[in-house]
Amino acid sequence: MPIDRANSARLVAPPRAGRPWGSIVLFLGPALCFYFAFIIYPVLVTFYNSLHTLRMDLGMVYQYVGLQHFREILLEDEVFWKSARNAMTWAVVAPCLDIPLALILAFTLHSKIPFARFFRTVWFTPLLMSYPVVGVIWLWVYNYDWGMANLTLRFLGFGDYAQAWLASPTTALPALILVTTWMFAGFNMVVMLAAIHAIPMEYIEAARVDGAGPWHRLFHIMIPLLRPTIANLIILDVIGKMKQFALVWVMTRGGPMWGTETVATYVIKRAFEWKTLDLGYPSAIAVLWFVIIFGLSIGLTRFLQRREALEF
Amino acid sequence: MRPRLTKAILMIPVLLYTAFSAGPYVWTAMMSLRTTDEIYRSHYGLPIPPHFWKFYTAWTEFGYATYFKNSAIVTVSAVALITVVGAMAGYGFARRRFAFRLREPLFLLLFLSIMFPPQIMILSLFQILITYGLFNTLAGLILVYVATELPVTIYLLRAFFAQIPVELEEAARIDGCTDWSMFWRVMFPIARPAVATTMILNFIYFWNEFLYAVVFITQQEIRTLPLAIQFLVSDQYFDIGMLATGLMIATLPVLLMYLFMSEWFVKGMTAGAVKG
Repeated sequence: MPIDRANSARLVAPPRAGRPWGSIVLFLGPALCFYFAFIIYPVLVTFYNSLHTLRMDLGMVYQYVGLQHFREILLEDEVFWKSARNAMTWAVVAPCLDIPLALILAFTLHSKIPFARFFRTVWFTPLLMSYPVVGVIWLWVYNYDWGMANLTLRFLGFGDYAQAWLASPTTALPALILVTTWMFAGFNMVVMLAAIHAIPMEYIEAARVDGAGPWHRLFHIMIPLLRPTIANLIILDVIGKMKQFALVWVMTRGGPMWGTETVATYVIKRAFEWKTLDLGYPSAIAVLWFVIIFGLSIGLTRFLQRREALEF
Repeated sequence: MRPRLTKAILMIPVLLYTAFSAGPYVWTAMMSLRTTDEIYRSHYGLPIPPHFWKFYTAWTEFGYATYFKNSAIVTVSAVALITVVGAMAGYGFARRRFAFRLREPLFLLLFLSIMFPPQIMILSLFQILITYGLFNTLAGLILVYVATELPVTIYLLRAFFAQIPVELEEAARIDGCTDWSMFWRVMFPIARPAVATTMILNFIYFWNEFLYAVVFITQQEIRTLPLAIQFLVSDQYFDIGMLATGLMIATLPVLLMYLFMSEWFVKGMTAGAVKG
């Protein structure tokens, strides 16, 4: 034993004193340059910009305004509150759809139905397309006259419910949320399926021997064991939906009547489409949303993990 | 008898969901082989006869050759760059030999930035790219892409390198290898499965990326495919047939690869979620 320890000590700390700074710079340098130049520095600049007005039409001259942008956003900006509400709705509703659907699909595939591999491959496919492609396809699906959505309703005898889904402020956001579910249910299903396969068979066998029926095994053994995975997927889904930009940009541009505006699209609109031409104000929105997303992801991680700890 | 019945009943929701999942894309694929006139006569007709020439027309007359080329340049260069830079950093963060005082805090910062929303960088990146003459260039877009995916890439590769026993590299070092040649000759080849996973993840992300492209590219000649599609929707709103062909051109490279390596794709796309 003492010999082993001596050996491993020599392996960990090379006999030559000092660190191999040459190699450290060589291996970490390029990545850190990228990281600081294109992520950390821009983040700091955005924080700095949020305290200034920065008119693009006036040669980008900085004018210090303190916290005025933040006051305006929180107290006067109705569009911000609408877009924040839409993004929050998306972040709450989407996981409620995606995760249970993915669980059902995963358990169905797990029960050894024929062609399981084929189904898995097909269900996962929507995730591989870009948002503009998905957006265009679903613009067609929601077309009033010949889209698949209304066609199916008419076929099933619910023709009265057929409508221009993206044209009304009340149906446009749910219509977009359904599109993200179409994209992400398969992804969540695959992750869940992998976690189900990782459950030791002995647990389930033991429960079966003890007389637990299939439903009992599902709800009292398998789902509790999947909790860490489910928690992870919920966090990913919530954060992903809080950042939603591309689908909205392609399908509705935030309309009708701000009905699908998200904070992400509003930031870009304020910066490049509105006649204000000021980079400071949208930067302040970005900072505010960044703080909210960051707090939410840390809070969610804590909350879901603590509940998990309590369960066991 | 009963298990078979249960399975038959299970197949009903499975088939319904499959119709929901595949229906829109299959429909688009059929439209891509039909002319717009045919489509307006019957939106759900089969592509008989199939008009494969539409792909040629889209490619040559509607600019898809250019957009495809731009997307390919951006994706291939960004994947190559991020793989090299990310693998080196993943290794540098994994080994105790390269530890220094600020390394762990740096890694934590890197890990946290996986969650950063792009909006927190995009406006100032716009300023920075203009300052350095990189606005409206594919090079600028490539640099931004590499930077934004570096945190996940480094995170995944570090986890893999950390599992490889140190003894392997000690042996190479005793044979007189420097850190640099040892990394490329020994460690990098061992890490191939993990590197392939991150390459696929990044490939899909770069090929499909839209937000940065919208803000940083305003010239038509250097639009990438996702960006081009967004403009084509408004420009040729009524030419559904040609647009459908364009959508197929934009998605087929990825889907064909997926068809042949679906296991790798699934692994790559879910790598971040499992460890999260």
